[in-house]
Amino acid sequence: MLHQNLEWYYPHTIEDAVKLISQQGVILHGGGTRILKTSSKSIKGLVHVGSLPLNFIHHTDGKTSIGSGSTYDDILRYAHKTNRLSLLAKALSEAASTPLRNRITIGGSLKDFPIWSSLYTPLLVLNAHLEIAGKKDEIISVRDYLEKGIIKSKHLITRVIVDDAPHVAGNVKRFSLIRFEYPVFTVAAALHGKKNVISEASVYITGVKGRFKHCKRAEKFLEGKSLTDEVIAEAGKYFSAKFVSDYRYSAEYKEHTANVFFTDLLIELKGGLQ
Amino acid sequence: MKKNFHINGSVKELELSPNDTLLQTLRNNNFTEVKCGCNEGECGACTVLLENKAVNSCQVLSMSVQEKEITTVKGIGTLYQPHLVQTSFVEAGGDQCGFCSPGMALAAYSLLQENPNPSRDEILVALDGNLCRCTGYVKIIDAVELAARKIAAEIKETE
Amino acid sequence: MFKYVNQPIEKIDGMALVTGEEKYTDDFAYENMLYVSVLHSGYAHAKIVDIDDSEARKLHGVVEILHYKNVEQKLYTTAGQGYPEPSPYDTMLFGQTMRFVGDNVCAVAAESKAIADEALKKIKITYKVLKPILNLEKSEGSSIIIHKDDGAFPKIPVYYDAKNNIASKVEANVGDFDTAFKNSSRKIEHDFYCSYGAHCAIEPHGAVAHLDTRGRLVIISTTQVPFHVRRIVSFVADIPVSKIRVIKPRLGGGFGGKQEVLLEPIVALMTWRTKRPAKLIYSRREVFKSTRCRHEYKTKLAVGYEPNGTINALHLDALENAGGYGSHALTVLANAGSKTLPLLNKIPNLRFTGKGVYTNLPCGGAYRGYGATESYLGYGQVIDMVCEDCNLDVVEYYKKWSIKSGETSAIFQALGEGKEGVAMNIGSTSLHECLDEGAKLSHWYEKKKLYGAHSEFNKGKRLKRGIGMVALMQGSAIPEIDMASAYIKMNDDASFNLNVGATDLGTGSDTVLAQIASEVLDAPIENFIVYSSDTDFTPFDTGAYASSTTYLSGQAVKKCAEKIKEQILKVGAEILALSVDEVTIEDARVISKVNSKDEATFAEICQYALYQKNQFQIQASASHVSPKSPPPFAVHFIEIEVDTFTGIIKVLNYVATVDCGTPINPITAEGQVEGAIVNGLSYALFENYYFSPHGKMLNDTFGKYGVYTAYDIPPITVELIKSYEESGPFGAKSISEININGALPGIANAFYNATGKRLFNGPFTPESVLKVLNEKS
Repeated sequence: MLHQNLEWYYPHTIEDAVKLISQQGVILHGGGTRILKTSSKSIKGLVHVGSLPLNFIHHTDGKTSIGSGSTYDDILRYAHKTNRLSLLAKALSEAASTPLRNRITIGGSLKDFPIWSSLYTPLLVLNAHLEIAGKKDEIISVRDYLEKGIIKSKHLITRVIVDDAPHVAGNVKRFSLIRFEYPVFTVAAALHGKKNVISEASVYITGVKGRFKHCKRAEKFLEGKSLTDEVIAEAGKYFSAKFVSDYRYSAEYKEHTANVFFTDLLIELKGGLQ
Repeated sequence: MKKNFHINGSVKELELSPNDTLLQTLRNNNFTEVKCGCNEGECGACTVLLENKAVNSCQVLSMSVQEKEITTVKGIGTLYQPHLVQTSFVEAGGDQCGFCSPGMALAAYSLLQENPNPSRDEILVALDGNLCRCTGYVKIIDAVELAARKIAAEIKETE
Repeated sequence: MFKYVNQPIEKIDGMALVTGEEKYTDDFAYENMLYVSVLHSGYAHAKIVDIDDSEARKLHGVVEILHYKNVEQKLYTTAGQGYPEPSPYDTMLFGQTMRFVGDNVCAVAAESKAIADEALKKIKITYKVLKPILNLEKSEGSSIIIHKDDGAFPKIPVYYDAKNNIASKVEANVGDFDTAFKNSSRKIEHDFYCSYGAHCAIEPHGAVAHLDTRGRLVIISTTQVPFHVRRIVSFVADIPVSKIRVIKPRLGGGFGGKQEVLLEPIVALMTWRTKRPAKLIYSRREVFKSTRCRHEYKTKLAVGYEPNGTINALHLDALENAGGYGSHALTVLANAGSKTLPLLNKIPNLRFTGKGVYTNLPCGGAYRGYGATESYLGYGQVIDMVCEDCNLDVVEYYKKWSIKSGETSAIFQALGEGKEGVAMNIGSTSLHECLDEGAKLSHWYEKKKLYGAHSEFNKGKRLKRGIGMVALMQGSAIPEIDMASAYIKMNDDASFNLNVGATDLGTGSDTVLAQIASEVLDAPIENFIVYSSDTDFTPFDTGAYASSTTYLSGQAVKKCAEKIKEQILKVGAEILALSVDEVTIEDARVISKVNSKDEATFAEICQYALYQKNQFQIQASASHVSPKSPPPFAVHFIEIEVDTFTGIIKVLNYVATVDCGTPINPITAEGQVEGAIVNGLSYALFENYYFSPHGKMLNDTFGKYGVYTAYDIPPITVELIKSYEESGPFGAKSISEININGALPGIANAFYNATGKRLFNGPFTPESVLKVLNEKS
């Protein structure tokens, strides 16, 4: 339950918003779906992101900028209309449910990274970047955002930047049994290259111990190769992830199935690099 | 405290607390057609439309949507003038206990407003946030398809 | 053949439901109303040494607090069953011993829910934590005694042994199982397991009480059993029945979960003591943890048979996890045998043994299927195993060995609801047609041949396909025990008030009962104003359980309508100056048999009777108790695809052919089948209660528990195949429970067809399936 005497703020500029969240107990409110799950009485004020100019998606100079106030539904519609952001759209289209996708903002989802989130995986393999307003406006990679622990500090993400990827074949797969379920893990790969030869591979998995893993060994194996049946079968040996057992699945089962999903993911990418 | 909200086409002054969810505010102000099934954003019984998009009102904080157009199931049709989505539910037998029905009807309505000729897959996606334990969904899907056919017939008539 | 019955009439409350007009329990509010919060035990087994509520009482807005110090320590059962109940009296409203995580510690009534919740935190409770029993196999004879000194006792003279943690025990024998089994040339013996399951009705449990202008207690609640609520609240709260009125408004699903008296006594006491209205609505987590659920079951099947498939002997043994309290522990157990064994009535030597044991885990209660679901996993599979071994077609096997019209089974007499059952002969069955039609619709023969573990189709494939089937039976109402009644009166304009105690949970019973009355009186359904489930204004009905409403309540309505018909004919004859034998009813008129133009409309007749001559109110009441429980039958054919790399099972096609006698309303009947099938599927594939090492349920939200959405369902084909049950209204039996029983055995049999391996333990989650696939045969 949130505080009975919650204070609401509706800033119209990013500066004002940044100033507000520097206060104790004041945080950002995007779609609001996570706040109610992780709420506590120490939250004294909410800064409503909806009144900030953060609800946009535009494309310039080979990059798509997604305002952090965009909902999953906004992103899906944009992707459908423009044929861009297809890998991100694939992951988001299966996340949560229609009424939640209409409400969850990408900014809110990035800040609060629950272990089952499917949002990070495509952003990581695409090496997406974030623009952060705070002490100084800066653009950092999503990888650095996670690996350097910036996610933990108080800040406002203004936009997510995804480069166009003309020679990239990407795929993302999530393991869940039924439609509305928190996925056990999500694995994604983005393969850069031409004429079927992989020049650069990017492979990430989320839902693991430590929340995400950069699968460098698998990437190294794939680079310089073509996606043949033999290569795909072999690639599985270079893919591994450590999980935590929970009441539904053991760590061993998750590790085994993640490997199967990784191989399936590559099979679906065969012939994707033209 | 009291604040103005836009509900079902008119402005209404509602009594609320700053930490209220939209579900709480609506039900406390007699919009009991919005149901509470789980209060955790997982069942869709509390579905309302925000500017024609379905949302779980239990996951929306009231103070963040004062300017938005809110529609409950009574905003799309009434007992005396039901919307054809609603009559389709009754005709197809997609109404057993009815607890999920307001949410389902709104989800279907929102879909058909934007996409009057949806594929079966598009229908299933639009309904994927509304749980039903009574029907097994078969006749609910039938109802939405029936509503789409009726809309298509209406469009044809006016042409 | 029929005009109003067997017609797909729209539900009479349908439009009000989909336009949000109808009111459910939480939609009722009263001035000056108190909000109730209940503190549930965090311990699986503990004794409350002391409760100090002084700090909580100081909180502004707290009005009343209930706990063991101020609530009579009286034993009763929460089970909504006929009196005297076949469940042990082992529950106290607020007792001193907590017997599962979720048990009631105390309750607060306050000016707002927030204050009530705050008050709960201020109540100081000292517990003596006791060692819990968290495994049903460790219960019997344990040194930990769950009902030690509370004086728990069985209300009817049945086996009950609290000292050994035995809540229920059932045994039935036909012939000599031991000898026949020993002498059989082939034997199958196997253990099976079925998990806990939650009803997941979308409406949470709730109750609202207030005192009317004469000081009578009025309770509105999410109940399937208003009359049992009245009696049990009277007993628990020590308020005379005459001072209690119970009303069921619209109900958002039950499936058995609301056949339990849990919240009503709490609001009743709050209101009775404070003289103010009180509302208690459970959160979803409270519904998962603190209400009732499907019993966890371990079953054992032993079958002795011959190479030609003849079964000489069959033993079904069941070990039931009753949980902390034994509501429905005996009757669910008895049904595990009574709704399975009669299906193959030609087996000469049968044994059914079963025990329900106490554990410090959530309590089992009534849940659609009621014991049959748990035992069909094994029963439906061993038949398949016998057929596989003897190279017989299962469909033909069922045709040959299943119970037929006119036949009986010794089990009907042997297994009742806690006592002896009722012998009966099958009066109606279309099981053969169901078998044939289902085989046709599912392409059974073609697919059975195509799939198969060593078939060309499946050999070496990662994704293997298989098809499996199972035949099912259930019952219709509880013979000689349950009673239903109806009242009808006529109004000036030829409309009728039809008042029934019967409880519409969304099943459409209000509509179905109106159709029956319509058919008798040959008057349109719009003429019937149905009012149901109000203990002041509707006559008695045991409630919606045991698949009884259409069959039992329907017959009461039919009898009542026939009495009305007699009265209408008499008045009509009087108006037409004819004798009663010379007139008949047609289209809401009484007409002369000789000259149909000689007529008196129903409206004329009623006005004559109310105002003009020999005035009287055309009205009647009727009750019905059934001498038998005619089983509905169903056959399910399920086609699946198994991903042998991950263990994930995908259902490709589900065909169900169902015999419910005459379907009074084919649309609502199909709806019952479809809903039960989808629930059966999720129960078979993943539903379960996961517990912490201390007995706390971990997956207590819809998202963590798992409920199918519209996106997840497979193609489902339902075909209702009529039979005609003389003892039922216009030939009807029942349909509401049976179809939840097919998924577990059907999928298991399909799995065998696909992989050559068997699934004995539900739910068939990917990890458990993968384990089975990787086992060396």
